[in-house]
Amino acid sequence: MEFTLKTFIFYGFALMTVASALIVVTVRNIVHAAFSLMVTLFGVAGLYVFLQADFLAATQVIVYVGGILVLILFGVMMTSERFDMPIQVKGHIERGQLLLGGVIALALLMLLLTVIANTPAWKNLTDDGTELPPTTERIGELILNGPFLLPFEVVSVLLLVALIGAALISRKEVRD
Amino acid sequence: MVVFLISLILLCPLAAFAVFGLLGLGNRSFQRQDYLSTAAMLIALVCSFLLLGEIAPDPEPHTVNWISLGGVTFSMGFYLDSVTAIMLIVVTLVSSLVHIFSMGYMHGDPRYPRFFAYLSLFSFSMLFLVVSDNLLGIYIGWELVGLCSYLLIGFWFEKDSAADACKKAFLTTRVGDVGMFIGMMMLFTKFKTLSLYGEGGIFALVASLNTGDMVWLSIAGVLIFCGAIGKSAQVPLHTWLPDAMEGPTPVSALIHAATMVAAGVYLTARMFPILTETSSLVIAYIGGITALIAATIAIVRFDIKRVLAYSTISQLGYMMLGIGAGSYVAGLFHLTTHAFFKALLFLGSGSVIHAFHAMHAHAHDDENDHAHDTHGHEHDDHALVHDHGSEIPPDQDMRNMGGLRHKMPITFVTMLIATLSISGVPFVFSGFWSKDAILGGVLGRAMEWNSVHHYLLFGIALCAAGITAFYMFRLIFMTFFGEPRNQEMHDMAHESPKSMTVPLLILAVLSLPVVNILWFNEDYVQPPEQPHLHAPQHAYASPDSKMDEARVTLSLFGVSEAVAAEESGHDTHGAHADDGHHGHGPAHAIAMVLSICAAGLGIFLSWLFYHRRTLSAESVATTFRPLYNLFWHKYYFDEFYDGVLVALTVWKARLFAQFDGVVVDGIVNGVGKVTRDFLAVFIGVFDNRVVDGAVNRVAEVTWAIGGKVRRIQTGAIQTYLFVVIAGIVLLILIFRAL
Amino acid sequence: MTLQHYLVISAILFTLGIFAVLTRRNAISILMGIELILNSCNLNFAAFSRFMTPPEDISGQIIAIFGIVLAAAEAAVFLAIILAIYREFGSIRPNEVDTLKG
Repeated sequence: MEFTLKTFIFYGFALMTVASALIVVTVRNIVHAAFSLMVTLFGVAGLYVFLQADFLAATQVIVYVGGILVLILFGVMMTSERFDMPIQVKGHIERGQLLLGGVIALALLMLLLTVIANTPAWKNLTDDGTELPPTTERIGELILNGPFLLPFEVVSVLLLVALIGAALISRKEVRD
Repeated sequence: MVVFLISLILLCPLAAFAVFGLLGLGNRSFQRQDYLSTAAMLIALVCSFLLLGEIAPDPEPHTVNWISLGGVTFSMGFYLDSVTAIMLIVVTLVSSLVHIFSMGYMHGDPRYPRFFAYLSLFSFSMLFLVVSDNLLGIYIGWELVGLCSYLLIGFWFEKDSAADACKKAFLTTRVGDVGMFIGMMMLFTKFKTLSLYGEGGIFALVASLNTGDMVWLSIAGVLIFCGAIGKSAQVPLHTWLPDAMEGPTPVSALIHAATMVAAGVYLTARMFPILTETSSLVIAYIGGITALIAATIAIVRFDIKRVLAYSTISQLGYMMLGIGAGSYVAGLFHLTTHAFFKALLFLGSGSVIHAFHAMHAHAHDDENDHAHDTHGHEHDDHALVHDHGSEIPPDQDMRNMGGLRHKMPITFVTMLIATLSISGVPFVFSGFWSKDAILGGVLGRAMEWNSVHHYLLFGIALCAAGITAFYMFRLIFMTFFGEPRNQEMHDMAHESPKSMTVPLLILAVLSLPVVNILWFNEDYVQPPEQPHLHAPQHAYASPDSKMDEARVTLSLFGVSEAVAAEESGHDTHGAHADDGHHGHGPAHAIAMVLSICAAGLGIFLSWLFYHRRTLSAESVATTFRPLYNLFWHKYYFDEFYDGVLVALTVWKARLFAQFDGVVVDGIVNGVGKVTRDFLAVFIGVFDNRVVDGAVNRVAEVTWAIGGKVRRIQTGAIQTYLFVVIAGIVLLILIFRAL
Repeated sequence: MTLQHYLVISAILFTLGIFAVLTRRNAISILMGIELILNSCNLNFAAFSRFMTPPEDISGQIIAIFGIVLAAAEAAVFLAIILAIYREFGSIRPNEVDTLKG
């Protein structure tokens, strides 16, 4: 694989994703973590572009960055005691928990990497770089006029139920 | 389009029922449920007519997969051929008319909305049964209509007789349904599917069976037919249908005359391709015997609804006979014509009862139910007989009627039309054509196969046809002609309101053959293939010998040979057994002549007995006392069931109770005595020291361990997550190592 | 770029997500870890769809879109629960919410 501009950008996105994800899980300031998560989500969107999933990349940016991340920030603000102070993780971090978590996570990573490296069917599948047509129209066809219509409707209802449920759970208790 | 229309047909009545169900069963129910249910039925009716134009010549079922279990997938779907389409029209049409009729008949009932909701549920179930393309769907619809029948027979559950009748109907039909279920399971274990049509359907697979499977297939066919015996009230499970007349009369018209009881016939017709010679013959015999037995019982009944109930059983037997004898088209033709004229007869009787009932309620102002008045009449000696039928509500007793034709002209004329139709009065009434088609089909098969069985069945059917004409005209003469027998009731009688007479008029028009034109088009309804029905070895005699047979048959029934020669001279090639249409082949001509004679004889005798009174029914009854008693006691079927089956069950229960009381209790008591007197003291000590000690030690140890172990439950989610994920990692490692 | 590139990235994201879920001391941080896990799954779907199926078959991408929708629903409910817990306990630290402690 020769080292072209394309591969360079790919590695850039990959590095950006992984590094910012590392920051998300390690940084103590939760607002910093949230912003770092935004970078991770952008990085994943970039990887989607490399996979020629244009619609998916756009959805990723709109829904995750525009929706979920804002929701998370709201959550941070509403549960913090004071607005002007970043929420520090107080109290001593249990070293045992951190160590155990690290060991388990590392074991998992090793396991996954061995599986990825040793599965014959996944080897030597290279992106030949052919340009595929945009996916938006086909996704629309499949979702609204194809085999995914029923799952689409079900997931819409699920989203509605989740939103109503969320509103119900989080509202103030009305005492009578 | 087809799927859309069928879905609409099914969903309309279901939605009407759902409105009722959602609003609750109590007083909060929707007060205009009647309009809602009727509108739903009318939409379904329109859709059914639209469907007529959608029938494909070689229909494919429209299915979706429903449940996958193991390697087997159950599908649900619709199948639309010409028979389905006609059944849909019959069901929706009769149901719509019954809805309209009920608005008048049930007016003022305290559970008025509920009645219409039940009717909607029934219509949905029946339509579902009709359009299903597989046995599972048919079975679901089958049980649902059974449930609705139960609910509606017991609609006036304050009456003990209605509550008993609905239980009886439910349990009796269940006996047949068990057989049907076993039959279904036999087909299922063999074919691994319950779908009937299409590539992998039962009918395609049955065709590939070889002769070694014929016994098995015959048993399966007869078992499935058991369901039809129960539902269509065939002998020996017919006893529930007369009792089912305890329900409101519109229910009797819709469920117990026109549609649900015909479902058995429909099922048998649907299963036509799997019938073998043996199972066909069983079906034909049961149908024929039912037709005759029920007709003879109907002669001696005085309750107007019971007469009609036995008449229904008899006519259903006719249809079964037709299908069993291979006259697929004729059987279904009779099903449709019968649905119309029998619904008309029941609604007409409802109109009469309504006229009397209103009077009755007026006279006994506080009572709404059918009081069991004792009233003097000429058959008092029968009142002592233990017999459900002998306690006739006065407003249903034909001995209280008479001379009503001037009081209720519309009811009279319409009922007369239906009676002429069911009696088989020729040419202008539909019943003649369909009944004749069955008779001709049976005789045709008899001649083609040279089969003694079918000649015998033809004779039975002919007798039943004559008797039918006799008792139906007996009903008409007793109700509408002569002098009023109960002047007080007669004075109060009046014609029914428009909502009741209009359905009667529509049904009267439907009893004319013009309306049933589709059945006269030979290409419209094609009988399916019967791959395993072969003529017996000695069949296929030469045309000459067939003619001889025909002449023998004719002389057997006392018809001149000249007629036979003349009739058969028109057409010398052999009769088509499968051809349900009239007017083809000598068999149909002979059958037509004979059935006209039988009907004419029946009507003439009835006229002599009950109008001219030249002959006295009482004196004939006295002369043929044993026969009369047999008919009056309905061949002792109920007595047999009460005396033998119920008594056997009770005797068995007593035996077990005795066993329980003497042997089991004896052992238990003996052991108890020994224990108390000898062992208790010793064991008491043992119990306190050893057993209690052990229990207490165990409890203490448990307590101690529990105190330690409960620390594991930290209540912190992350601890649990640790364990879960570590466990997953370990499991994967273990399985990779293996 | 090969399939294995994407799978490795997704495996790293997944592991980091698990790590966050196991060790963070704030419920919202745990939510972020879960979002990382979901992202890694979606990335896997898209990658397998690109490399393992013919180009015209984009079912994997559609599944990923459904995954995003589920993530949105999950985030909404999660935050609602967090708010309710915060009102009840005055804290959103998972180790302080231990009513079920044995």
